[in-house]
Amino acid sequence: MPMRQKIFFLTVALLLVVVIFELVRRRRLRVEYSWLWIAAGLTNVVLILRYDLLIELTGFVGAVIPTSTLFFLCVLYLALLSLNYSVRLTALSREVKELAQELALLRAETESPRAPRP
Amino acid sequence: MTRRVLIAIPALNEVRNLARVVGDVRKARPDADVLVVDDGSEDGTAALAREMGCGVLRLPIHLGYGAAVQAGVKYGLRRGYGVVVTFDGDGQHDAADIEGLLAAVGRGADLVLGSRVLAPDAYQGGVARRVGRRAFSFLAWTLTGLSLTDPTSGLKALGPAAQKLFAATRFPDRFPDADALVLASRARLAIAECPARMRPSLNRHSMHDGLRAVSYTFNMLFSLLVAAFGREADLKG
Repeated sequence: MPMRQKIFFLTVALLLVVVIFELVRRRRLRVEYSWLWIAAGLTNVVLILRYDLLIELTGFVGAVIPTSTLFFLCVLYLALLSLNYSVRLTALSREVKELAQELALLRAETESPRAPRP
Repeated sequence: MTRRVLIAIPALNEVRNLARVVGDVRKARPDADVLVVDDGSEDGTAALAREMGCGVLRLPIHLGYGAAVQAGVKYGLRRGYGVVVTFDGDGQHDAADIEGLLAAVGRGADLVLGSRVLAPDAYQGGVARRVGRRAFSFLAWTLTGLSLTDPTSGLKALGPAAQKLFAATRFPDRFPDADALVLASRARLAIAECPARMRPSLNRHSMHDGLRAVSYTFNMLFSLLVAAFGREADLKG
């Protein structure tokens, strides 16, 4: 891998990791949501530093140029991340629904308490 | 034994129709309690329902038809009603059919559906609706052996077992139609049908218009499959 490419990719990947860490440190990003991001950044760092691994991986997936393997991995991670978001959104909407229903039920309870059963 | 009956009416911006719907229902079943589930209306539906002396569940945000129905069922379950009837607030159901539903529950059914197909002289819906109904019936039948003529009917009567299933957190509340029935059948509820004379909705924009029909159909098919192959845990109330 040309030195210029290496330095560029490495900088970007490291920057990503640093930004994620900083977000977690400032409590803007929860730890349990950050592992996939950290994994994405670190995979890139490792593959850039260990070029032989990247080449092996390229042969394994049947790609021609190592950089396309790198790009493929990035896209894969993005896909995984958005899938992860969809799962979390589903959980969130269920929670919001339950809360809204519960709120309505409690409000009905205070407005018209249950009549004692005959 | 007489069971206490709750008639739950999901309503979204129904100020124009609500008085008529509630009036019809009360005339048909004077002894039943009427609950209006206001799904985040902006036109004072809840206030009107209160004025008419109905029970009111006012959802603070718009959750959609299925979740509104589910909220009504939860209300009925918590207050110990023997039967919860779901009755659409847009005037497409005929209050006279409630009697038949309740009779079927009295004969031992857990879940009774009003079927417009069994009332052949009545309004059957548009062409798309009819084709869709056939397809859903066929699929539900293939997947579970359940033979129903009108699986997307919103007019239902739920005994305690069905109430428990419908109130479950994991219940498919977005589209509580054919997939809910598949779940109910897998949970071994006794399901019955009785004739119901539906009318065209009093609203211009009903759930099944235009492009929404496409996404509705897709969601429906997909959730049918999910219901048929879903996990056992989803069947518990």
